[in-house]
Amino acid sequence: MDPKEVLDELRTILVTRLKFDQRRAADMTLETTLPKGVEGSIGLDSLDFIELSIAIEERFGIVMDESQDLTRHFLSFDTLARFITARTEAA
Amino acid sequence: MRRIAVTGLGVVSPFGVGTKAYWNGLSAGVCAIRPVTLIETEGFRCRIAAEVPNGIGGSLRRSRADRFALAAAREALEDAGLSRVERAEAALVVGAVGGGMLEAEAWYWERYRGSRPPSRPTPRSTLPFAHAEALGNALGLEGPRETVVMACSSGAASVALAADLIADGVVATALAGGVDALTRICFMGFNALKLLCPEPCRPFDRDRRGLSIGEGAAFVVLEDLERARARGARIYATLAGHGMTTDAYHVTAPHPDGEGMVRAMATALERARLAPKAVGYANAHGTATPQNDRIEARAIREVFGPGQLLVSSTKSMIGHTMAAAGALEAVATVLALVHEVVPPTANLETPDPDVAFDCVPRVAREAPVEYAISNSFGFGGQNVTLLFGRA
Repeated sequence: MDPKEVLDELRTILVTRLKFDQRRAADMTLETTLPKGVEGSIGLDSLDFIELSIAIEERFGIVMDESQDLTRHFLSFDTLARFITARTEAA
Repeated sequence: MRRIAVTGLGVVSPFGVGTKAYWNGLSAGVCAIRPVTLIETEGFRCRIAAEVPNGIGGSLRRSRADRFALAAAREALEDAGLSRVERAEAALVVGAVGGGMLEAEAWYWERYRGSRPPSRPTPRSTLPFAHAEALGNALGLEGPRETVVMACSSGAASVALAADLIADGVVATALAGGVDALTRICFMGFNALKLLCPEPCRPFDRDRRGLSIGEGAAFVVLEDLERARARGARIYATLAGHGMTTDAYHVTAPHPDGEGMVRAMATALERARLAPKAVGYANAHGTATPQNDRIEARAIREVFGPGQLLVSSTKSMIGHTMAAAGALEAVATVLALVHEVVPPTANLETPDPDVAFDCVPRVAREAPVEYAISNSFGFGGQNVTLLFGRA
């Protein structure tokens, strides 16, 4: 799965699980940043990240080890899509 | 008053994921009570339970109980074949007690026994209402939501209360059931109360010595019968009536005369407008504690007369699954009507002479039953009887 396809899946997760407006999700690109407080980000908070992690694990069949620092993977859709792609290929 | 149909079933049990695995185990009389692996039981008088085997699915960030609930609820919804809109309007009623306590206990255990910070995720979804949140969000259930915390009758009470929501016209459809995972507090609590049997429990046996703990989840889709017919749904059974009463007597012991149990069963019959002789099978609460089985058998006799109906206990095979028990046993009762087979009481060797019924020892019985009840009695004297009729 390439990053663009992963982005599409993530958009679906944002709409169905995090209740984002469909049009707003459609406007998101790989460059869009995620964490709350970062310039131009979609403003995800800590609970959103947990919900997002559960949805990613269940959609892509991967396990994200919480004892590792995952922050760098959750900066933007680009870093997240790369992380997911690497994990799914490794699995 | 609207009549209620059962149109979907979903189960996670000590026989694995799925209604099929559950019925295969029950109808073959398999006892799934084995040595405990989930928690440390060194030094306990009882070291066995009926655990759910691996393969439940779902993210490990979710509690074990949430993963049980999701798998069972998803199966029930898919089985009923509800559209997205019908799902969105459905009520969700969840019987729960332990919540995500298993994970919370492990976290605190690590936190206060040295290793710091704990290696596992911080517990969330700990409280009983967390299951309903997980189910609602993951499965698109947007109707009324209730969590029923009524000890060992939670799962049955959730089915009864969901039926009321439909009968009253609040909703046309409801997903109702119960869930509990094994927890230290439950296991240790029952162990301390000396209610756990060191060997697999033997309900209605003269030599019974207490219960075995189990875990799992079950959900049913309940639906306005007319609407279920109109959409061509598969109807497993009708929920013809139910009764809910309270002993108001003691924190753990049932009332010695079983007076609250009698009223629960009598109320279910009354609401269904049925004579006692219409009922052919009672899926008993049947915990295998000396008190419960004696008092329950007496209460059934008072309502239905001696010898009239078959009585069996699902707990002899899957243990006492706590908040899930009433829901798992409701599914067993519905399947008994569907398959015309009464599941047995496993491990029953020497029938208790004080029990005036055929308790279907060890081997399932072919029996075309028109109506069957499922009893659930919780600590604090919380009695629920569900009465199902053949579709």
